[in-house]
Amino acid sequence: MRRLAILLSLIAAPLMAQVQGVELDEPVALPAFHLDNDMGETLDKVALTGRWTLVMFGFLSCPDVCPFTLGNLEAAVAETSMRVRPDNVPQVVFVSVDPARDAGTVSDYARYFHPDFRGFTGTRDQIDTLIEATDSFYRLMKPDASGYYEVQHSSAVSVIAPDGTLRAKLQPPFDPGATAEFLARLQIAYRRSLNQ
Amino acid sequence: MKPLAVLVLALMMPLPTSAGDLVVSGAFVPMAPPGVMAHAAYFQLTNDGTETRRLIGVRAEGYAMAHLHRSDDMGDVATMSAVDAIDIAPGQSIVFAPGRLHVMLMHPAAMQAEGNTVLLTLSFANGDTLAVQAPVRRLRHGS
Repeated sequence: MRRLAILLSLIAAPLMAQVQGVELDEPVALPAFHLDNDMGETLDKVALTGRWTLVMFGFLSCPDVCPFTLGNLEAAVAETSMRVRPDNVPQVVFVSVDPARDAGTVSDYARYFHPDFRGFTGTRDQIDTLIEATDSFYRLMKPDASGYYEVQHSSAVSVIAPDGTLRAKLQPPFDPGATAEFLARLQIAYRRSLNQ
Repeated sequence: MKPLAVLVLALMMPLPTSAGDLVVSGAFVPMAPPGVMAHAAYFQLTNDGTETRRLIGVRAEGYAMAHLHRSDDMGDVATMSAVDAIDIAPGQSIVFAPGRLHVMLMHPAAMQAEGNTVLLTLSFANGDTLAVQAPVRRLRHGS
């Protein structure tokens, strides 16, 4: 009976988490910034215009939250693709805030979760520019005796609209169905705002 | 005949790992992206006994280090902290799950493939250890 209750609570938890995202009162324009990756690809302001983008900050040595979030985003984008036109399916960008350890493998990491996911990192000031512009946060923690350090980072995912403005934040637990529903509604509101 | 049949049936059932009154079920290691220096293992640990038990550590075969760890979301910031000990009251289950308690597996000797098994050894304050076989599998994300 006890195990049944635990099982039921595990199933019910995602259903109870209704708030999957928050729409910003006012869209925020992004400043110029430049990130790149080991494939020679560039992420800048221009790359974030013309289509919807989900930006997640994290680090590759993140054992638990980052892979779980990226897995959920993959499922959320798949769900979104069933609700919106193909050209409105968001691209997913993973930005490592830990370039010292991640610069060589960040694109491989992102592609592991979906072939279209792209990973980037860059110099500290360029990362900080995007972090500040999206009202995000990170902090590299003190290394332990082995030199390993952890990284605290925003768990929210930034939603960038095709006009290159930050429009919303997705929040854990990133339930795929509810996140897709939020994104589909956000896109309807966006199109309405453009027609006004 | 009947006790024998029961015994045979019991042996055929997939049994969760147990040591005395401690039972581990649902152990798994999600497949990790290539090249990462840390990933995680999850399971559920139930104390079916009458005394509180204290989980104090974990080892993982094929990894330089393994730690009991907890992820927290504090004001929209994802944080992680090491956990020194976890008390499990009689009748209580402790759930290790993504975004919560997890075993952090650090510096893998080799890349894990789907179908591999990671051998975890849980240590308890009274000196008991509990071996857990955690299969490596792709985590399914869905609503």
